[in-house]
Amino acid sequence: MPQVAQAIPKIGLVMEEVKVVRWLKTVGDSVVAGEPLLEVETEKSVVEIEAAATGQLTEILVHAESVATVGDQVAWIESAEARVAGTSAAAPRSTDPQNPAPTPATAVPAARDGERIRSTPVARKLAAERGVDLGAIAGTGPGGRVQLDDVQRAIDARRAVAPAAEPLSSMRRALARAMTLSNATIPQFTVSSSVEWTELNVLRGEFSARLPADSPKLSVNDFLLQAIARALMEFPALNATFSGDPESADARIESAKGAHIGLVVAVDNGLLVPVIHGVEQLGLAEIARRRQDCVRRGLKGRLKREELDGATFSISNLGAQGPDRFTAIINPPQSAILAVGRQRDCVVARKGAVVVRPLSDLTLTVDHRVADGRLASRFLARLVEILEGRDWRLK
Amino acid sequence: MQHTFIEILRRALDEELARDAAVYLVGEDVAAGGAFGVTRGLAQKHGTARVRNTPISEAAITGLATGAALCGLKPVLEIMFIDFATLSMDCLVNQTAKYRYMSGGQLAVPLVVRTQAGAAGGAAAQHSQSLEAWFIHVPGLVVVAPATPAEAYGLLKSSIRLGEPVLFVEHKRLYTMKEELAEDAALPPIGRARIARPGTDVTLIAYSAMVQTALEAARELADAGISTEVIDLRTLLPLDMGTIAASVSKTHRALIAHEAVLNGGVGAEIAARIGAELFDELDGPVNRVGCPFAPIPFAPELERALLPGSADIVRAVREMME
Repeated sequence: MPQVAQAIPKIGLVMEEVKVVRWLKTVGDSVVAGEPLLEVETEKSVVEIEAAATGQLTEILVHAESVATVGDQVAWIESAEARVAGTSAAAPRSTDPQNPAPTPATAVPAARDGERIRSTPVARKLAAERGVDLGAIAGTGPGGRVQLDDVQRAIDARRAVAPAAEPLSSMRRALARAMTLSNATIPQFTVSSSVEWTELNVLRGEFSARLPADSPKLSVNDFLLQAIARALMEFPALNATFSGDPESADARIESAKGAHIGLVVAVDNGLLVPVIHGVEQLGLAEIARRRQDCVRRGLKGRLKREELDGATFSISNLGAQGPDRFTAIINPPQSAILAVGRQRDCVVARKGAVVVRPLSDLTLTVDHRVADGRLASRFLARLVEILEGRDWRLK
Repeated sequence: MQHTFIEILRRALDEELARDAAVYLVGEDVAAGGAFGVTRGLAQKHGTARVRNTPISEAAITGLATGAALCGLKPVLEIMFIDFATLSMDCLVNQTAKYRYMSGGQLAVPLVVRTQAGAAGGAAAQHSQSLEAWFIHVPGLVVVAPATPAEAYGLLKSSIRLGEPVLFVEHKRLYTMKEELAEDAALPPIGRARIARPGTDVTLIAYSAMVQTALEAARELADAGISTEVIDLRTLLPLDMGTIAASVSKTHRALIAHEAVLNGGVGAEIAARIGAELFDELDGPVNRVGCPFAPIPFAPELERALLPGSADIVRAVREMME
């Protein structure tokens, strides 16, 4: 069978070198094109590299803790179909008599290919949801059929033997690194203000009614995205990123062109920050469409690398079930993040009268190396003004 | 106070006759009380114009009742034994069920056909059949099959008020079953099943007298630690797949039990729909319990041997739970 080379694809714009964190498969394991094969560490995060082909992992060339350069070959996969994943380079392996293909170090399990595992539909569904290998379960149903109870027992057993301390998932690791970096290197301060939603709630209904039935419904986040984009254009000093060591002459504040805004999306045991680029050019309908698209794909783990990069600012909105107010930590290398408290009816004074209005508390966290308190508070005041106004662009 | 199935049906008919002047009863011997005494005394109370005897011709009287319904009355026709509904079928299938559709909705046939089905002890091959599956094949008909006296009371009233042609299948073995009638109970909707017994391990779908058999089996299974959810379909056409889906999504196992033969039965239709619509919820094949493919014998011993009972259901469920 042909051998396919597994190489390190280019991931970030500036990425050149990576460190192999760990291999998720061992030699002899069968792999499926597109499934995570190894984890590498870039300067930004830990990233999973997908298998370049379906077949059997026959040799690992670069082991954990070793460094590789983009384009380097790190393993061989023996593949019948030589199917190549889009991100990886592949080349047929030369059959060099001086250099015979090594024998796999571990015994290859009996080929299960083509052998159908007798199982019930609901057992298959649960196994797929929980990442349980059906082939590893002894079925107790008729003729050894794997049933729901068998899968449930396997899940329970896995939970029972799972050690109390677990290694980090790659997402958790990337998150831990980013947040540690943020807290250690970025001097952060916060400013708060409350915003009244009365006008926006009405407009949201009116605009939604004007959109075609198949458009996504406008959410408060869509209005926040447009308002922040506009405010960032008016306060370019905040629409920037800080890079380098403040002690060194290389330290820079780099202004961004356009408003590129991240939206924090909670997922199981972690979060994702898909970035919507060029928001200042978009109407609410298009913002909603892009927001829905990237949140949906994000939840399925289907975001491209560039869709997670390039923002200067993020929104963290914990929604209607969220807290009244909270403080968010900047996601490096961004320079600000807006924490949006839940909308709630509050007693407020308006024109000397006590009235009830829907309000949220907005808390803006800012990188003090980039901006100061006066700029941040003026930015926030302007943002509130936009959010409470009627000046919106729908299309 | 408890009443028999027959007494409760009589009360429902009596109240509907009193409530709506368009309702009338028609059929062989109904003025004399009918073969089972369901209509006893109603001719004396409401007059022979509204409780009418007919000659013995199911074809003719089904046509008569369909015509009366087209002209604005709400006849309740009794076909003595579903076995003889075969003689009504040309009218029911080609006329009664088609008028609303072929008139573009201008005509309606608010007709209820009451009929008796099932084996009840030595009535032999021509008076014991369960032929309801023939009717669920016909668009335009509604098929109702109650499982208890109180259910029959509400379902008969709902059928009379529905405004569509309804085949109302009464099981002869239920006729002597007694139950108390809640005085202010709301009428059950047509087309909605009910959970006769909640459970978590297996869904047992039944209708008519088989619901009682299923409940008996469920009690026995509960002693063995198996929790059975019993669904009483109540209406066979249209089928309430929502209730079935909710239950099967919880238990992941389904068994359908009916007295009719399995071939081409109501259970086959339900099993096919569970397989197609709930495939990912299943933890085993959908099973059926029903009559072997044979005519009902006359000899009581043979009849008992043939009819599916609670032991058959218990055995089937135990096999599914292995």
